[in-house]
Amino acid sequence: MQEQAYNKISITKEEIVPVAEKMRKDGVILAMIHGHIGKDGKPCISYEYQIGSGIESYTVEGEDVLPSIAGIYDLAAEWPERELNELINVTFEGLDTSKRLFMPDSMLDGQGQILVTPMDELIEKTHTKKEVAEQ
Amino acid sequence: MSYIVPIGPYHPSLEEPVHARLITDGEQISDAEVFIGYNHRGIEKLAQDMNFIQTLVLVERVCGICSHSHALCYALALESVGKVKVPKRGEYIRVIIAELERLHSHYLWLGIALHIIGHDSLFMHSWDDREAIMDILELLTGNRVNYGMVTYGGSRRDISLEQAQETLKMLDKIEESNKRLADFLLSDKTVALRTQGVGVLTTEDAIRIGAIGPHARASNVATDVRIDAPYSSYGDFDFKMCTWDSCDVFARVVVRVLENFESIKIIRQALDSLPKGAINKGNSIPTIKPGEYMFRHEAPRGQLSYKVVTNGTDKNERVSIHVPTFKNAPTIPTMLKGNSVADAGLIIASIDPCFSCMDR
Repeated sequence: MQEQAYNKISITKEEIVPVAEKMRKDGVILAMIHGHIGKDGKPCISYEYQIGSGIESYTVEGEDVLPSIAGIYDLAAEWPERELNELINVTFEGLDTSKRLFMPDSMLDGQGQILVTPMDELIEKTHTKKEVAEQ
Repeated sequence: MSYIVPIGPYHPSLEEPVHARLITDGEQISDAEVFIGYNHRGIEKLAQDMNFIQTLVLVERVCGICSHSHALCYALALESVGKVKVPKRGEYIRVIIAELERLHSHYLWLGIALHIIGHDSLFMHSWDDREAIMDILELLTGNRVNYGMVTYGGSRRDISLEQAQETLKMLDKIEESNKRLADFLLSDKTVALRTQGVGVLTTEDAIRIGAIGPHARASNVATDVRIDAPYSSYGDFDFKMCTWDSCDVFARVVVRVLENFESIKIIRQALDSLPKGAINKGNSIPTIKPGEYMFRHEAPRGQLSYKVVTNGTDKNERVSIHVPTFKNAPTIPTMLKGNSVADAGLIIASIDPCFSCMDR
């Protein structure tokens, strides 16, 4: 058993901003914002705060549109939010997504979303038709 | 007169591709932007279709320098979900390799920093010392990079008594050379002129932007996962956190040189008191109950975090990798402001960036 504690706490979409404001006021570090696709096909986003030696994970499930906390946690929240927007297509209200972070510029219109797009579709997106035929 | 000066994606002072756009006012940088994503390989996507043992091999390829850290952090996250207790000997072997990796990463960075500031003779000395560390790693693991020393539930290879004695002997030499390197770096005029007062990141800015690792410690932020949240037997060893308060590139040099001494101290303690017993819990492919865990490990460049979501099979539901550079790279524009264009390469390199790690 490892010593780093991890507690999952479920919250609603409306509680994201008040929780972030409280944490910022208390000087708590935002370790990361993680996201994955849950069993129902909806995104599951968790805000991981570093409290003491452990992590408290405030998780929102089943929401596609979330408020951005980049205004509260600055770049520590902005980059993870931009990453999630590109990888699993979650919209953060008030976040500037006009520039890409990881994905090529050619994927900007579809945003890439490589974690939710099937592999064969991704190959078509990134290769020309001739290259696909050769494979 | 205002100009926009692009640096990268490919530039002699950058080890890996990244693009920085400097908005200059004469020689001074008034604003800067950083663009990443030139090394994106979709490793998180690949990890979704692999079993846990295959993923251990995959994540070790995320980075060429801190490969052991990636495998270790992923294994620790999995073991936390599966509630597996690693044998003490396995934990000690993991720590020894992790600290050797830190030594080799810090020496590598010191060499690159010295090369950028134009002190090529010290760069050669620093990389010469690094070779001795690579020799130890080769002796213990069989490889210079991608050591393959971690498995689910322990370590994959044992350390024999002869190997331990040989390593201790070589460590004496490395400590001697690190003392000489520290003397040079702290007293040399060229190093001082090129690094003191350059690329300042104040303590407030470091906390606000979320800087971590040696980069934050050089801005006098006391943060080190090994001490704040001890894991994998780190609590058994006596070592201290190295911070420096000048907040400039010089501080980053000093912190890394001092950390080398601490790493040597940890390896000595671990080898001297290596517990007897098993090193792992067998080599079968594990099945782990559904769950999720975020684990943090102090990689050479700072806090590395793995979030693992499992679904009750032998495959990952999601592996989310966040490396220190992802937290430290947003500090680059703040550090660049007010410095001259000639120092831009050094300031970008001063975070010890690993863009391959960051883009995954």
